[in-house]
Amino acid sequence: MKNSSLIKGWRWQYLVLLICSQSFAICHTERDCFASSGKALGSSSFLLGMTKRSGVTTAEQQQTITGTITFENMPLAGVTVTVKDKQTTSITDNNGQFTITAASGDVLIFSFTGFKTVVLTVQGYEILKIAMQEDTTTLKEVTINAGYYKVKDKERTGSISKITSKDIENQPVTNALAAMQGRMAGVSITQTSGIPGGGFDIQIRGQNSLRADGNSPLFIIDGVPYASETTGYYLTTGPQATTTNPLNSINPNDIESIEVLKDADATAIYGSRGANGVVLITTKKGKAGKTTFTATAMNGTGRVTRFADLMNTQQYLAMRNEAFANDGITPGPADYDVNGTWDPNRYTDWQKELTGGTVDINDLKASVSGGSEKTQFLISGDFHKETTVFPGEWRYKKGGAHVNLNHTSDNGKFRAQFSGGYTAQDNLQPGNDLTAISKKLAPNAPALYDADGTLNWEDSTWENPLALLKGKAKGRTSDLVANAVLGYQLLPELTVKSSFGFTDLRHEESRTMPTTMYDPAYELGSEYSILLLTNTARRSWIAEPQAEWSKTWNKSKASVLAGATFQQQNGRQLVQEGDGFASNALIYNLSSAYLIDIITDSEQVYKYQAFFGRANYAYDERYIINLTGRRDGSSRFGPGKQFATFGAVGAAWVFSNEKFLKDRKTFLSFGKLRASYGTSGSDQIGDYQFMDTYSTTGNNYNGISGLQPTRLFNPDFGWESNTKFEVALETGFLKDRIFFTAGWYRNRSSNQLVGIPLPGTTGFSSIQANLDATVENRGIELTLRTVNFQTEHFNWTTSFNISASRNTLLSFPDLEGSTYQNQFVIGQPLNIRKVYHYTGVNAATGLYTFEDVNGDGSLSATDDKQTVLDLNPKYFGGLQNQISYKGVQLDFLFQFVKQVNYNAAYLSGIPGMMANQPTAVTDHWQQPGDVAEYQQYTTGVNGAAVDAASKYRESDAAITDASYIRLKNVSLSYNLPEKWLSGVKCRVFAEAQNLLTITHYKGADPEFRAPGFLPPLKVFTAGLQLTL
Amino acid sequence: MKNIFLKFYALLIPIFLLWGCDNFVEVDLPSGQLTAPAVFEDVSTANAAMADVYAKLRESGALTGNGTGVSSLMGNYADELDYYGDSAAATQSFYNNALTATDGTVAGLWNNSYNEIYSANAIIEGVAASTGLQATDKNRLTGEALFVRALVHFYLVNLYSAIPYVSTTDYEQNRHVERLPVDVVYANIIADLEQAQTLLPEDASPERVRPNKTAAAALLARAYLYNGRWAEAANAASAVLNDANYAMENDIDAVFLNGSTSTIWQLKPSADGINTYEGSNFIFTAGPPPFVALTSELVSAFEPGDLRRTHWVGSITDGATTWYYANKYKEQMNTGTSVEYSIVLRVAEQYLIRAEARARQGELIGAKEDLNVIRNAAGLGDTPAVSQQELLDAVQRERRVELFTEHGHRFFDLKRNGALDAALSPVKPGWNTTDALLPLPEAELLLNPNLAPQNPGY
Repeated sequence: MKNSSLIKGWRWQYLVLLICSQSFAICHTERDCFASSGKALGSSSFLLGMTKRSGVTTAEQQQTITGTITFENMPLAGVTVTVKDKQTTSITDNNGQFTITAASGDVLIFSFTGFKTVVLTVQGYEILKIAMQEDTTTLKEVTINAGYYKVKDKERTGSISKITSKDIENQPVTNALAAMQGRMAGVSITQTSGIPGGGFDIQIRGQNSLRADGNSPLFIIDGVPYASETTGYYLTTGPQATTTNPLNSINPNDIESIEVLKDADATAIYGSRGANGVVLITTKKGKAGKTTFTATAMNGTGRVTRFADLMNTQQYLAMRNEAFANDGITPGPADYDVNGTWDPNRYTDWQKELTGGTVDINDLKASVSGGSEKTQFLISGDFHKETTVFPGEWRYKKGGAHVNLNHTSDNGKFRAQFSGGYTAQDNLQPGNDLTAISKKLAPNAPALYDADGTLNWEDSTWENPLALLKGKAKGRTSDLVANAVLGYQLLPELTVKSSFGFTDLRHEESRTMPTTMYDPAYELGSEYSILLLTNTARRSWIAEPQAEWSKTWNKSKASVLAGATFQQQNGRQLVQEGDGFASNALIYNLSSAYLIDIITDSEQVYKYQAFFGRANYAYDERYIINLTGRRDGSSRFGPGKQFATFGAVGAAWVFSNEKFLKDRKTFLSFGKLRASYGTSGSDQIGDYQFMDTYSTTGNNYNGISGLQPTRLFNPDFGWESNTKFEVALETGFLKDRIFFTAGWYRNRSSNQLVGIPLPGTTGFSSIQANLDATVENRGIELTLRTVNFQTEHFNWTTSFNISASRNTLLSFPDLEGSTYQNQFVIGQPLNIRKVYHYTGVNAATGLYTFEDVNGDGSLSATDDKQTVLDLNPKYFGGLQNQISYKGVQLDFLFQFVKQVNYNAAYLSGIPGMMANQPTAVTDHWQQPGDVAEYQQYTTGVNGAAVDAASKYRESDAAITDASYIRLKNVSLSYNLPEKWLSGVKCRVFAEAQNLLTITHYKGADPEFRAPGFLPPLKVFTAGLQLTL
Repeated sequence: MKNIFLKFYALLIPIFLLWGCDNFVEVDLPSGQLTAPAVFEDVSTANAAMADVYAKLRESGALTGNGTGVSSLMGNYADELDYYGDSAAATQSFYNNALTATDGTVAGLWNNSYNEIYSANAIIEGVAASTGLQATDKNRLTGEALFVRALVHFYLVNLYSAIPYVSTTDYEQNRHVERLPVDVVYANIIADLEQAQTLLPEDASPERVRPNKTAAAALLARAYLYNGRWAEAANAASAVLNDANYAMENDIDAVFLNGSTSTIWQLKPSADGINTYEGSNFIFTAGPPPFVALTSELVSAFEPGDLRRTHWVGSITDGATTWYYANKYKEQMNTGTSVEYSIVLRVAEQYLIRAEARARQGELIGAKEDLNVIRNAAGLGDTPAVSQQELLDAVQRERRVELFTEHGHRFFDLKRNGALDAALSPVKPGWNTTDALLPLPEAELLLNPNLAPQNPGY
């Protein structure tokens, strides 16, 4: 055969291309290929069909090359065809066909994510036929968004976890954070309330800050920082456990991927705001190719996961009567449950009655995307509605639209990208969470409704819980996040770009307390009704000009990035109260109120400025080093203390590319060892804290509006600093069918910004200051991904992740002299509770006993609360399985957490008082000599029993095992064969969230931060997705 | 090429320009805040700071008329009020005399009181450092702040016994304060009031909503009495009673109106139309009572023919049971314009103070005169008491029916006379001797060990 450089006279020739995972070979005949390419892996091959145009062509002459690309004999659309070093690109269309201009001798690169890249040299052939092969080593090729730059997973030196829209779309959730639970090592997410629009608590690698509200990571949406501070106000936020959280505005449907940056190498480039980790949310972008239209409709139901086991009427009345007998008194006029006023034979399961409803969920999404190789677009919209478990008409509605436009100029040097998203939420919830009441109401409490259908007040002997539902909490949020990136390639190695972002959030919430909430016997007219109204506006803009230089030569690859950030955020909050209305129908109109009182009118301006840079060098794809640095300034610190510098170094060694291991690629297909060390900071302390001011209170006296000292003044506080160190190993075996990573990290934070607690005698409860204490978080994260089966029809992949961390207070000079002396212990975590040690019920007295640690004969908080209990999870993680057979796909995720938390004993009152108790309390002491779990009953007048019960709640009996395994998500879907619907792709699916909870916890649901609120719900949905 | 470099520089110039702009991160003071020194340079902002202190007294702490103030809480704690509300609410523990150191209301009383004291100290220090205020304004503001400081400490020492006396805003000192013995606390209170008396204006403020010299004298009289200094108590009370501007009302229903001549100092509501928290909390229109009702012991303590029994006590009956409520303040709802303000100091109390002080000193005739003023105003005849002990007992009985549900007088009187156990053990099943004192909040003890020991029984 003639040499490949000769063009003339060729007819159809078939070339066999053998692709090895990292290298390629070009041959003219099968025989040649086998001979020259070295090992041949796999039996699939590329078939390259060529035909020669008649006539002579020279090597430099441009010609039009066309071809078809297939996968498993089906045309493959969207494959990128590039002429190397020439910036000419093309994309295969719906039929897998492409056209490109290239000269003979040019190298054509065919790439598509998830498939092995094909490279071949143009030999004057016009028509090519290429069959592509799926790449099991996908993971490493995937590009990870690291914030200011993108990096291939195999080359990254930092610790970044990622989930994609595939993981998110399987879950019927409304909050993006819910979609992350159990899927990422090191990321612990707890749902604080089951009410829609409720919040989530997120901690990345443990608690760094002594302050509970100083642990939020930095949220960035398409490069625009998104403030996660609450937009609500405690008086107007409805029944959620925490005030309104703006993260609910982020629409899970619009998300393409979520990357969480955890270690110094990844977060240092975010400098002062990266100490608690960074959550990068990337929204969906338009894709070139045929215009596709997708629509999804979903319906579902939900209910509470578990109820607590509470007493029935017989047990309850027996308890009450015994309590009275123990105290030696008879039921008084107000003891309606036992003095005959209420029917002793009634029984209502209040948990079912008040929180046992089913939630109705409706969800609709649609999107259109398409474009050419130069311009792509995506437009999507969605709507979601769900009701609640409470009786009555309550609902949460959310709708939004998302637009993305990308454009590249003809010469490929100029790129523009625009993304914008708008979300509106409308929430109508009861003003109070009925969960706590449902657990306390006496089982024989009267009926909710009278014979004539009105609320029953049973002659004013009780507060009908449904009356509380007449007080409503409404919330309306509209949120715009927009971002534009403009980039220009000045030189082949140098690109300058700038991103501009803008967010605008308006939030209005109101809470009404109409007099219809109260017993009509008190004849309270609407002149007592109250309206509380909060209006919050928050707007921010950010500009980040950057320049990036990158060059590849010989075996080296280097890139340098430099940029600046300018950001400003303006916020304003107005909280008003209206008292007294002519009629309860006018209660939402503030101008109808007799009295209007302004509770607070506050304004915040936050300004931020930074310069950052990154230098990355990789040699021979084996040795990689990454340096990042940032200098930040924040308006939250006083003059002279506003600026600080942060930096990190990360290095990686891809030892699987070393000569001595390259031959073992069948077994060890990938191995990387990486480490990083660096510093980051935190300025999450609220604005203006360094100022000594008086502020208006809205308190009016004698016509003068009051001014009060805002805080205790400390001008000296500055940045917290946080150093992170990590070492990790990433390995892939058997062509990456088994992918295992293990990481160990150690973070230390010092100079913590806290509100140092102060006794009330100082007039305030705390002062903002830097604490000279060092807190350490260290832990390990392990992930394992196995491709158990991968055949043409059947695939089964398992992913497992587990994280265990330990938080320790390393040093605290003069702890004994500070106000934290009774809260922290050196060598123990921050999130500890110091409690009494419970030593059982005294068989003679029937009272709880506790250990008198210092033996002085009395129990005092300072001396005897010495038992330390750690409320941080010991370990947590998830196990996910994805199974697909032909068109059917089943995904399920188990999430597990090992922790201790407050149990039901903490929440319920004293057994014997007029409140329902868990059934467990029936095992109680009755007479001397009894051995029992719980002490004697009392109606509240036995001082010793009340004191013992109060200490019981402050002892280690109130904090018990709350570990659980939850079948967090199950998703079953079936792709209808396309031929049934003439080319329309249709997928039917059923999804469930929190389906099953396995736990020993004595109480309702073990997932909460503050007890007494509605726990997360169990949700089932089913739906249909059409793609045209 | 030129184009490229031009574009390059064009993009970089803004970066370099702003590199120099380090003051990009400076922010102005937000609207709604003023620097502390600026507040005391201008009399209207200084007045606003003082106004806020009064508003705080009205809304929270010991003196508020709502459910967290001592009028309601100590009324329930002693034998004035029966509690009918939600057993999970804070007042239940007070009613049961079953308080614990972790009780939130107890902590609230402590913390709010010290916050009021801080604000008062901030005013004293700010005014002293001011260069822009006139001397008359400086004196008035300092006098008012000293008055408030003494007033709040007075309630603290009567609730918790030995307490720290805070007279500076310096948090470094205040976080290590120790509990001072009761006598030392009273000495400080009296010193503050005596100084306030010299600084406060002679004339009453419009509507008597801010304290003046006479108010300081009235509170001094009470402090001397509680501290056992009889002669000084009588003198201070005389100073008040000799002021012609303050006299007993003839019409018993007018005593608690905001225009009453017997009021020495009252707290003005936040807006016109609002009346008192006491009125809205104590009055009910249908039984059973939603919140509290007067105890049968109190209702039967009135002598026959006592106008206060008919005018200051209301009743509701459903045919089978009758409940009584405190009707001193008669407005439960808002009215077109306010008619009642919450009264802290009034003339009747001064007569009773002087009667007791005189009786203690053996001036039995003078004591009888003062006691009879009160009795006659209530439509009762002169007191039959003759001996010193009989007179003292008669004064205590009179105080009970005159000052009921007003800022914990009943509880404090029983305590200072050592009569708590005798009066309360028979009627309150949860009563223990150690309940004479409230517990110090546990959180405070954990943050400041100098506050140890905790009060006995907790």
